[in-house]
Amino acid sequence: MKKYFWVAKNTWEETLTYRFNFLMWRIRTVVLLLSVYFLWHSVIPEGSRLFGYTQNMMLTYILLTSITNAFVISTRTHEIGDEINSGDLSNFLIKPINYFLYWFWKDIGDKAMNIVFSIAELTILFFILRPPVFIQTDFTFLSLFCISIFLAIVLYFFVNILLGMIGFWSPEVWAPRFIFSIILGFFAGNYFPLDILPNTVFKIFEALPFSYLIYFPIKIYLGQIGLPEILNGFLLMVLWIGIFFIFVQVVWRKGLKAYTAQGR
Amino acid sequence: MVISVKNLSKEYSVFQKETGLSGNLKSLFNRKYETVKAVDDISFEIEEGELVGFIGPNGAGKTTTLKCLSGVLYPSSGKTEILGFNPNERKKAFLKQIGLVMGQKNQLWWDLPAVDTFILQKEIYEISDSRYNKTLGDLLDLLDAKDIIKIPVKKLSLGQRMKMEIVTSLLHNPKILFLDEPTIGLDVVMQQKLREFIKEYNNKYQSTILLTSHYMNDVEELCKRVIVINHGKILYDGVLSNLVHEYSPYKNIRITFKDNVEPNKFTKFGEVEKYAYPQLELFIKRDEVSSAVSKILSDYEVEDINIEDPEIEDVIRKVFGGE
Repeated sequence: MKKYFWVAKNTWEETLTYRFNFLMWRIRTVVLLLSVYFLWHSVIPEGSRLFGYTQNMMLTYILLTSITNAFVISTRTHEIGDEINSGDLSNFLIKPINYFLYWFWKDIGDKAMNIVFSIAELTILFFILRPPVFIQTDFTFLSLFCISIFLAIVLYFFVNILLGMIGFWSPEVWAPRFIFSIILGFFAGNYFPLDILPNTVFKIFEALPFSYLIYFPIKIYLGQIGLPEILNGFLLMVLWIGIFFIFVQVVWRKGLKAYTAQGR
Repeated sequence: MVISVKNLSKEYSVFQKETGLSGNLKSLFNRKYETVKAVDDISFEIEEGELVGFIGPNGAGKTTTLKCLSGVLYPSSGKTEILGFNPNERKKAFLKQIGLVMGQKNQLWWDLPAVDTFILQKEIYEISDSRYNKTLGDLLDLLDAKDIIKIPVKKLSLGQRMKMEIVTSLLHNPKILFLDEPTIGLDVVMQQKLREFIKEYNNKYQSTILLTSHYMNDVEELCKRVIVINHGKILYDGVLSNLVHEYSPYKNIRITFKDNVEPNKFTKFGEVEKYAYPQLELFIKRDEVSSAVSKILSDYEVEDINIEDPEIEDVIRKVFGGE
């Protein structure tokens, strides 16, 4: 297990060598967050209610997307496709190391850095904007929130691995990634809580795995879904994880046979 | 016998792109694939402690063979067995005993000092602290590289980086070591050092080493046995000196004359390579060398005469040229 800890640590340090890059990336995230924040700030005036959301609930939702993104969405797995295409995957195939666990821990190193920044940003925003936020004090909801975040991390990880393995068959790994990240931002509920959509549309979104990455955990934090629905959601997440896990194993095995260890 | 390869073949399907605008458009919708046989039905065995050189021109199938042996590639057909394992199963006990150095691939963490890669390597291979310290110390001594392990890899020169690559691949003392172009891009001094290192490593740990190289010097100095491969087929497998005898039944004779001579008169002895006064170079059949030389010495005024085996590189070129 110690080896994976070192993978995370090296990734953390690697990010530090590109401090400026990383800082710019965080600034982009904050600007996006603020634009969504102020939009909702003016759409829902203080004291009123829209789509069943009071101003403080909506703004809490938006601010929480930052930390949820840091936990769930931040990843380095987009490098997998290139790693396969360049033939660098060979370096891992000859070592007694699990490639998926290696990437999972690389992600943990990356997530840790993003979480630290997200918390720092939110603290600063908190003092500048003094937003009317909702603090959850119920221990049950808080711990269920943590469980949902963990499941979301695992689910999203397998989706990413699957996308990366496109590299076994095609050098064009970036286009699918790009489309995916656009769809993800919308379908996962990064800009608004999904339940403000018409009910039929919302039902479709709920059936897809994306909504469980951002929307679902935050709704748990806000205490807006009941225990049966939460358990139902967990069950669905575990099911999705199972499906993706099996799919990843099959594709990996097929991929290794197709792998050409290119690049001289 | 630690390595056994039976009827190994590996095919790639390669996408053929047509040139020109119409060709580009065509290939957008209708792609032509062609099957290329990188390795074509080869078999060989290697004993423990052997140091074997793979030689062949670019694209001959050397690297593909090494990749099949180390379990990176799945063979299209045939069977490979390394230390009793099927490499493609990638069993932990197998992976712990092999090492692969690819001269053109980087396994170090680019932005971090090499020592960070070493520590991760130590954990991956579950090397004890004492063994790690000893092996690392030994390797750094052998390669004279103590002072560069804390510099970020991206700031190292190619030669320094190669040393770090080698340390990384050897930290776990692999029983079988695959070296793919280990000396590529290095200067002559560094090449020589690396060769000495490989020799010493082979002696010290009795490890089996398979090496590919473009540089004949590498092979000449290190390997008793060579496997010559071209177009995916083995052309020769055996002792290096025999290769020279088999493929080049001639010797190189270089004569320096006192006076100008007529080069055409020497064609009866053998093949005249070139003549530029005062030096004449000719190839003479091995068994005719002594009689030819004594005849020349009695008939002409000779300042100097030199008889040697042809350069291995020339022989190899002949083999590949299909002559």
